[in-house]
Amino acid sequence: MEHKILEIRAAYKSEINQAASLKQLDEVRIKFLSRNGSVSALFEEMKTLTKEQKPLAGKELNALRNFCESLFIAKKEEIEAQSSIVAPKIDLSLPGVNYPVGSRHILTRTLDEIKSIFKSYGFSVSGGPELESDFNNFEALNFQADHPARDMQDTFFVTKDFLLRTHTSPVQIRLMQNNKPPIRAIMPGKVYRNEAVSSRSYCLFHQVEGLYVDKHVTFAELKGTLVAFAKEFYGSNLKYRFRPSYFPFTEPSAEMDITCFICGGKGCRVCKNSGWLEVLGCGMVDPNVFVKIGYDPEEITGYAFGMGIERTAMLKYGITDIRTFFDNDIRFLNQFK
Amino acid sequence: MIISVQWLKNYIDISDIDIDTLCRSLIMAGLEVEEITSQDAIYKHIVIGYVEEKIKHPNANKLSLCTVFDGKERRKVVCGAPNVEAGQVIVLALPGAIIPDGKFEIKIAKIRGEESSGMICSRKELGLSDDHSGIWVLPGDTKIGISLAEYLEKTDTVLEIGITPNRPDALSHIGVARDVAALFNKELLKPQLKAAASGNEIDSHITIEIEDAVNCPRYSAKVVKDVTVGDSPKWLKRAIESIGLRSINNVVDVTNFILHETGQPLHAFDLDKISGNKIVVKQAESGSNFVTLDSKSRDLDNQCLMIRDAEKAVAIGGIMGGENSEITRDTKNILIESAYFNPSSIRRSAKKLGISSDASYRFERGVDYENTLYSAERAAELIAEVAGGKIVSGCIDIYPNPIPDKIVTLRFARVQSILGYPIDAKQITEILRNLGMSWIEAAADSVTVSIPGFRPDIEREIDLIEEIARIYGYDNIPPIQAMTLPLIPIFDETAILDVIRGFWSGIGFNEIISNSLQRTKIEEEKPKAIATLNPQSADMVDLRTSLLPGLLTTIAKNISVGEKNLRFYEIGKIFIKKNPVIASFDDFDEKHILGVAITGLAGEKQWYSKESAFNFFDLKGVIKAFLSKISLDNLSNDCYNHNGNYLFSYLFSRFVNSQLLFTGGKVRKEVLSLYNIEQDVFYAEFNIEKIEQGTPVQKKFKEPLKYPRITRDAAFVVEKEIESEAIIELVQKQNLKFCKAMHLFDLFENDSIGETKKSLAYSIEFYDETKTLTDAEVEEEFIQIIGLIKAAFAAELRG
Repeated sequence: MEHKILEIRAAYKSEINQAASLKQLDEVRIKFLSRNGSVSALFEEMKTLTKEQKPLAGKELNALRNFCESLFIAKKEEIEAQSSIVAPKIDLSLPGVNYPVGSRHILTRTLDEIKSIFKSYGFSVSGGPELESDFNNFEALNFQADHPARDMQDTFFVTKDFLLRTHTSPVQIRLMQNNKPPIRAIMPGKVYRNEAVSSRSYCLFHQVEGLYVDKHVTFAELKGTLVAFAKEFYGSNLKYRFRPSYFPFTEPSAEMDITCFICGGKGCRVCKNSGWLEVLGCGMVDPNVFVKIGYDPEEITGYAFGMGIERTAMLKYGITDIRTFFDNDIRFLNQFK
Repeated sequence: MIISVQWLKNYIDISDIDIDTLCRSLIMAGLEVEEITSQDAIYKHIVIGYVEEKIKHPNANKLSLCTVFDGKERRKVVCGAPNVEAGQVIVLALPGAIIPDGKFEIKIAKIRGEESSGMICSRKELGLSDDHSGIWVLPGDTKIGISLAEYLEKTDTVLEIGITPNRPDALSHIGVARDVAALFNKELLKPQLKAAASGNEIDSHITIEIEDAVNCPRYSAKVVKDVTVGDSPKWLKRAIESIGLRSINNVVDVTNFILHETGQPLHAFDLDKISGNKIVVKQAESGSNFVTLDSKSRDLDNQCLMIRDAEKAVAIGGIMGGENSEITRDTKNILIESAYFNPSSIRRSAKKLGISSDASYRFERGVDYENTLYSAERAAELIAEVAGGKIVSGCIDIYPNPIPDKIVTLRFARVQSILGYPIDAKQITEILRNLGMSWIEAAADSVTVSIPGFRPDIEREIDLIEEIARIYGYDNIPPIQAMTLPLIPIFDETAILDVIRGFWSGIGFNEIISNSLQRTKIEEEKPKAIATLNPQSADMVDLRTSLLPGLLTTIAKNISVGEKNLRFYEIGKIFIKKNPVIASFDDFDEKHILGVAITGLAGEKQWYSKESAFNFFDLKGVIKAFLSKISLDNLSNDCYNHNGNYLFSYLFSRFVNSQLLFTGGKVRKEVLSLYNIEQDVFYAEFNIEKIEQGTPVQKKFKEPLKYPRITRDAAFVVEKEIESEAIIELVQKQNLKFCKAMHLFDLFENDSIGETKKSLAYSIEFYDETKTLTDAEVEEEFIQIIGLIKAAFAAELRG
């Protein structure tokens, strides 16, 4: 009996290993494990054994049967796994189900980038109304009535005293009126200029204003902060310069230029052959503004800056017509996902 | 403003400074050189030539065929001018030249079968005059082969400089020279006046009276008699032309020369046309009119300051002279006006009259009130020099209330506390001196100076600090390398927008930004719209009252380029008029709005699905997902309106704390047709302020359910009018112990269940947070629910 078990075990193992298909495997199963198979025959044979022999033989036979069955299952899984690679049942190359991919407007993305840089420098983000009073937009910012400085910004008026803000600077006034120094914030938003619509100008655009007001704020700090920003935003290799300019609400006032990244500073159409691109206006908050707010300019100093988002995005992405932003052609929108 | 480098050299020695360095230094001092033009650039490839032979063009009656010597070679040139003759010295444009008038390039070309390798030019073609009667014939002794630039002595370089409104002092050659002097620590060479003849003969020629001394604080005058008005000498003409002006005559050219030399606008009157030997400065009468030099009649009001004689107005003060007193070729005696007008007054009048002259431009920025007499005297000297005549002795200088000196003290320590960088006292005082400040007092830690009249922008210490920084060089102030960070809470008022954009862009919508200025097309919106007083165009009159028009405009534009399946959103402000007159912020609402629009196909035809058009339930579904994102999905239920309004055919909306959160629905055909859209559009508008107010500040953790949920399905046949949600609401209202949720999973309509009926199948969910429910517990509530629905809606249980 014992000998027969070992024989069958060896034979089964060898045959099952040779089986290459499910059909062959099944034949092996029938040969050994079916009612008329050789394993079943051994169970029949057991009945002829003595009472003393039966328990041991039964145990061994059961072990044999378990061994055969587990080998069979393992082999079957192996064959199935192989056959599915060889013969696919579905066309896996069919296109996947469509899911639409949306987009943020490129101006939003540019603004988000600027915002995240300044937030990392400890700036808050504040908003303000677009329909503003003449006081907040001009007077409080030291634009005197009947002064040619007002011509710098062509204005859409709604009444004599209300207008579409021409810059985000009035938000500075609102922030300072409602808070005590230190104030450190950027103020993004739409601004309006009454200019003929062309590839270079639109009746509205977006600005980001920045303000830091505290004791001991200096021009050197303004420079340091904006240089760090420009290097992070435009690239760390850039060269820059600050040149004197004029804004009624800052003094000293400056404009920041960076080397033209189109031509590398050699001079091209984009930089009007100067090799420089003007990227933002800035300066130290004019004491007259502090006086209007009710701060003591002897004690408090501050800096402010402002930059146009459209111009920034046009430079960065090589967009040549400002109207592209407001046409919202989906083929344009989908380029910046 | 145009500056001629050659002209500039009269006032400063810049022989050791090249043009590039000069321009860079000016830019870095705030005088932005925008363009550098070498005068000879426009005359490139244009030379002096000699016509050796002229024959008739074989194929054209009116053309001649000339042989022209250009100094190097002989060329065949076809010429159409009637006055061309052999033996003439002419101006020849060679191939490659760009003709200044018309900007076309000369190329070798066949003209009626004859090759022509150049063009003989007229003065007009060269941009030198309006005379186009024929070619320009030069004197016979002119050197052949030299360039036209050399012949015209146009070898100057001119700079176009953008001057900011605070720098009227730089609106002249002396003004720019003064900055150059300060930058390079050089001496400014202001022209010295000759010793004037003694006497007061002028009083017998003219008396001057200022009636309005507020708007005309100072009026200086000189008289030159027996002049000969004629062409200007070469040097004057060249100077005037170098800055882009046209030479008119020697007297007018001198006044223009002085304006661009000193920045002081002058006016020259023909003294013999001044009635009563008298000038009065006074306001105009409202409703009167006046013909200016340019022959235009101007309507005046009482804000315009007029220069009058005994009988009539002769000039609009500071803006433009009159035709009735202008200098002509017959003028003999000249009155030179050199005045200081109030900047605001000039600006108001110039704006009102729509005139911006070189004079008004300077007066409204503020000219040097200490300089009027100097300029009048210098003009008199130059007129006598170039137009003959005799300077009448004496001068008139009416200055009833002299403008007080501006005295400013600068603390050296303050320079450092503003700039964050120490500049030593010696350098500070040197800069201030070079800029023309005069010393009142010098102390160890400060200096007190008197501000010259040409710097109206300097009034305070901070203005002096800017001057010091400007001349010292912003680039020489090192940026800090580390910043101080005030430890204050950081806030971001735009954070909610980021959440909103994240959702809509994430779910497949494209963000747009449209023009907030538009023409309100929807009739019912018109009363709400706020109009601008000075629109760019009729299409941009109003501030938008809704984001829908911008989205529809965008949709129409995209459909027109073949993009018909669109999911758009926009975040922006809308403006609603609350009161007819906008006098304060209370008279209008400025609201921050999210607008969402879908149109076209939700899904195009695919191998796994048929194409499907967007419908109301797409909008409803995406809104539900959005509300869930912003945690506003459980606050209240939607309101449905089958009849819609002027925007929507039907709509739904939701209120939070009885305030409208959103409205959405199917846009009316009538509205779509205003934008030429033929396909359905579904639109919703959210009030962002309400989103912010409604969003819970702090969410609390809730233990997930530990026990199984049991669902039972039931289908009811009801009348078609019954709303599926009403059945759910009824069950919700019972506040049953185990039934926690219910949702519709099938809608079936078929004649087999009756024409007016529909079948609604719901899946009903039961659970308890503290234990596993038994079948009996579920069954009891399930039967209760079925009974309830049957009774309330006359429903029959189906299947």
